[in-house]
Amino acid sequence: MTTTTLTQGRTVRTIQPLQGKARFERAMWLFMRYSGLALVFLALSHFWVQHLLIGTHAITTAQTVVFWGAQGQPITLGNVLFRLYYAVMLVLAVGHGINGVRQVAYDYFGHRPAIYKGLMAVVTTIAALISLGGLVALALGAQASSEVAMR
Amino acid sequence: MLRPLVISFREGIAYRAKGNLLWLLHRISGLGIVVFLGFHIFGMSMAAFNPALHERALELYKTPPFAVGELILAFLLIFHAVNGTRIAILELRPQLWEKHEVATRLSLIITAALALPTLGIMAYKSISHFLGH
Repeated sequence: MTTTTLTQGRTVRTIQPLQGKARFERAMWLFMRYSGLALVFLALSHFWVQHLLIGTHAITTAQTVVFWGAQGQPITLGNVLFRLYYAVMLVLAVGHGINGVRQVAYDYFGHRPAIYKGLMAVVTTIAALISLGGLVALALGAQASSEVAMR
Repeated sequence: MLRPLVISFREGIAYRAKGNLLWLLHRISGLGIVVFLGFHIFGMSMAAFNPALHERALELYKTPPFAVGELILAFLLIFHAVNGTRIAILELRPQLWEKHEVATRLSLIITAALALPTLGIMAYKSISHFLGH
């Protein structure tokens, strides 16, 4: 860990090797800041494209197919870029979210390990299943069923 | 079991320091966004696995209660993004710590500058959609 101490207006950095939990916590601390900064651009651009440029009431399955490409059909470079954009955003957002929940849970239930650990086990399992589903969905592409395509 | 939450919320409101209220709102907005994120990723995944369910999720987002929820989400997202940027920059650049009050004011101004037009346009789109159909 890099500890920063202020001595007579000068910044002195001392390096101490970290192990185990402390090392994990430092990695998480850094991850929260850097993933957060990346998500500012990823999530806000995503939100503004969908809600301002397109508009909630104009979003359809056909729109999803345009962005993702349809299963069983050749995918374009645009589809690949959109899928990468969504996949990176998904991993960063879910990671940032779970760690945020973990910090909040630790603050309120850290003194009761059974509740804290149980809560985090449930949250992490649900998040892992949903993210896995999301990533597989992005890898497969959208299903363009005929009834949806006709609308 | 919920006592720590209740105490934290009450103290967070009662202790009226500016940074403390922002801290509380950052937490609440983060938890709100993460809950939505779970439903959103699930709903979008259905485009690959169950198009009918995906379509129903999209239709649900177009109903009046969700139009209101969407405005709340927009505000929480923009606030969390701008306030989080302030936190990240200040914590990664300790030499800026003495300017934290300017940073707080700036982040509130940027939040308002981004949120007002966004919410305005979204509300306009929703209202004209509901009146037009």
